[in-house]
Order: sequence, then structure tokens, then C-alpha cells
Amino acid sequence: MNARAIMNEFAKMRHLRVGLFVALLAISVALMSMYNAFGSGAFERLDDPNDYAWKTLFGGLGMGAALIAPILVAVIASRQVEIEHTGNGWLSSATSGLTPGQMCRAKFVSLGVLVAAATAVWGVVIVGFGTLIGISTPAPLGRWAAYIGALIIINLAVLAFHILLSAKVENQLVCIGVGLVGMFLAIFGELFPAWLAHLVPWGYYPLTVQSDYVGEVPVYFDLPYLSVIGLAVVGGALFLFVTGRFDRQEA
Amino acid sequence: MGSIISEFLKLKRSMSWSVVVLLPIIMVVAGSGSTIAVEGEFADGWHTLWVRSIGFYGMAILPVGIAILASLVWRVEHKNSNWNALMSRPVPTWQIVVGKIAAISILAAVMQIVLVAAVIALGKFLFGLPGMLPTDYLITSLLIIAAQVPVVAFQSALSTFARSFAAPVAIALVLTGASTMALLLKIPGVAMTPYALLTRTTQTGSATMLTGQGTSFDVSALTPDVVGVTIGLSAVLAVIVIAGTSIILNHTDTRT
Repeated sequence: MNARAIMNEFAKMRHLRVGLFVALLAISVALMSMYNAFGSGAFERLDDPNDYAWKTLFGGLGMGAALIAPILVAVIASRQVEIEHTGNGWLSSATSGLTPGQMCRAKFVSLGVLVAAATAVWGVVIVGFGTLIGISTPAPLGRWAAYIGALIIINLAVLAFHILLSAKVENQLVCIGVGLVGMFLAIFGELFPAWLAHLVPWGYYPLTVQSDYVGEVPVYFDLPYLSVIGLAVVGGALFLFVTGRFDRQEA
Repeated sequence: MGSIISEFLKLKRSMSWSVVVLLPIIMVVAGSGSTIAVEGEFADGWHTLWVRSIGFYGMAILPVGIAILASLVWRVEHKNSNWNALMSRPVPTWQIVVGKIAAISILAAVMQIVLVAAVIALGKFLFGLPGMLPTDYLITSLLIIAAQVPVVAFQSALSTFARSFAAPVAIALVLTGASTMALLLKIPGVAMTPYALLTRTTQTGSATMLTGQGTSFDVSALTPDVVGVTIGLSAVLAVIVIAGTSIILNHTDTRT
């Protein structure tokens, strides 16, 4: 991995205000989770021994991630790649020895660090919020850690897909449009058969939801570990394969 | 009129149709499909179908769609030296701004018409609902077309100054989310802002919401007062944004 290329990507981000969009990603999803808890009456049931308040926070995080992450991750990837199209960056970098595939990998690593950090912030802020408002049952930290880990993998898979799409298709309408369709799949994914949800990265948002109402009662769901690990392995392999092909293409 | 026609000429081959046609159709199919999957029927007929089609669309998707259209319309001007060519035309700046807003507003209006057509088509032919979509929802749709204009003007302003295609879309998503949350929290005066006005208008007259079966914020009944206030407020907000954009543009230097 070319460390200088990664540092260069961080330098580009300052001008593109990527930090602002990453901050929006971190804050808006966390706020939505808190709002869901507020709207679901969690404040009146802080002493519920069956984790009612924690379940509403989990449910809110699932909803917020599905609603906001597909678009904002698409926007973040699109901004970081769009400048290479407008500034002829692919060609100028290739002539200095940095192939398009290497650039995509550098973009993924640099943006991936920020997206993973924003996702980790969701967990820290929401657990902190739950503790602060005085939920009497202890925070299910193991469940939180596993869910945030799964969301990091899903967000990174969506990011990798959008970096490749934005690099291949110059018209950013397509990239943002696909992000919008991804949002639909993430929100309405529960309606699709599980095998279909496994085929696209956005389908994993509903697959990994940790809490939802069954009748009038919110219940916990098990995390599909194998599916998430499969996404990480297959997604990573596909990303390396496609960027490897980019390396052998003319800029 | 010439400005508007030229905008549509620029939009040829821009794939704007994909947003205008596909976005509302996907929303109606997703909203109605989820209702059938979960509840098995439309309990209140056309009213349920309408609220499931427009509810989430108005709270999150519609402003994002408008933002994409605004980015599309301004995209060509940010390429090569088109910006300087546009700004050196022998017409007042406000006319250029209004031309862009008119073009985006027409596309947004068509989007609403497609949504209504999709609701009627699915309700009538796929789900076999008796009767027809109540007229109130057609009037609400006309109101939505009016309430879209301030959001169109604001998104057009964002896309005027931001060269990035994606950034204004992200801002639309965040502002819509914040407005919807503010409406749900019943923060006073929020309905006078463009995004909240549009979101609130999309739910106007929704019978399911008015009878308290919805899970949403306070919904206005479709009355002459509401129609008048919505149209008046939309006009005022649009004029403010157009004036602001024109003034800033008049003080903006050429671009390289």
C-alpha cells in the first residue's frame, strides 16, 4: 500500500470538506437513534427489566443507518472520486506511477478510516446517551460491539462499491441515484427474501437489525455473523479484483 | 421563456427522466408493497394507499430527488467555461436564476404527476380498489407542486455555488431529516421553512393521518385557509431565495 498516496487523499479531503460530511454521517444517525428512543417512550420505561429502552435505541440505530448511510457514503465516495474526473487526475497520477487501481485503494483506505470512525461514534454516543438518561439495566456491550462491528463492515462494503462505481462512471447522477436505490433497499429490504438481500451491500442493513417490534413488544434479534463475515470476505476480494483490473487499464 | 427552453435543451441526454419517472414509481411500489406484505390489505382503501405512498416520500425522498434534479440542471454550467458564458449573457441575473428554477420546478411537477398516476394505476389495476383516488389528494398534489418551488429555489442556489454534484444532495437529505424531526417534535415556526413546508404539505388532507392512525406529526386538513397559506408562503420563500441568489451572483467573480 502506497502511504504517500493515502496521505495525498487526506490532503484532497481538506479542500473537499469531506470531514463535514463524515461528521454529518456520525451525528445524524446517532440523533435519529436517540429520537427513536424518545418517540417510543423509552424515557418512561428506563427501569424496564427487559431492556425496553436499549431495544428502542438499537431499533433507532438500525433505522437511522438504513436511511442516512447509503446516501451520505455515496456522497463521500462521489466527492473524493469526482475530482479525478474533473481535474484529469487519473491520467496525471498514472504518468507519475500511481495507477487508477492504486488510487482507488488509497481512497478506500483513507475514506474507510473516517467512515469506520463515524460508525464507531454511533455506538459510543448512543451507549453514552443511554447511560446518561439513566437506563437501569446495564448496557448490552457485547451486542453493541458486535452490531457496530457489523455496521462498520457494511458501511465499508457500500463505500468500496461506490468508489468503484464513481471511478467507472463519470456521471455522478448514476452514483447518487444508485445510493438512493440503495437507501430503498436498506429500508424496505425486510420485504425481500433473505437470499436476495445477501446479494447487495445495502441488503445487510435490514439483515443485521438488532431490535424491532413483534406485535407491541420490541425484541432482540440475533446477528447473522456468517453473513457479515461473508460480506467482508467476498466484498474485499471483489474490490481487490476490480481495482487490480483498473491497474491494467489505460488511464 | 427562452431561458426555460434552453434549460430543457441542455437536459437532453442528461438522464433526468430516470429521476422524474423512476423515483416516484419506486416509492409507490415500495410503500404499497410493504403495506400488503405486513398488513395484507389497504384497511382504508385509497386513503391507506395514498398515505403509504406519499408519507415516507414527503418526509425523506422528495427533497433528495429535487436536489438531484437541481444538481443535474446546474452540472453543465460548472463544466469547461460554461459558467462564464452563462453569466455573460445579456439578461439580468435574476432571469437566469428564475429560468433554472422554472426548469427544475417543471421536472419536479412532472415527478408529482407520475406519483399520482402510479398510485391510481396500482390502486385500480393491481390492487383492485373500488372507486377512484379522492379528489382531495389531487388538490393536495397541486399544493405539493407549489410547495416544491421554495425547495427547488434553495437547492438551485446550493447547486449554483457548489461545483460538486453530490454535496447539495447530502445537504438536502440532512435538512429534510432535520425538518421532519422538528415537525415531529412540534417546534414552533418550523413549518415556515422550505423543507418543513414541503414535508407538511405532502401530508395535507391525508385522512388516515387526520384520524390519528398515522405515526406522524400533526397534519392539516385541506381547507381554503391551508391552501391560501401554503401558496402564499411558498411564493414568499421562493422570492426571498431568488433575490438572495441573484444578489450574491451579481457580486461573484468569473470562474476559471
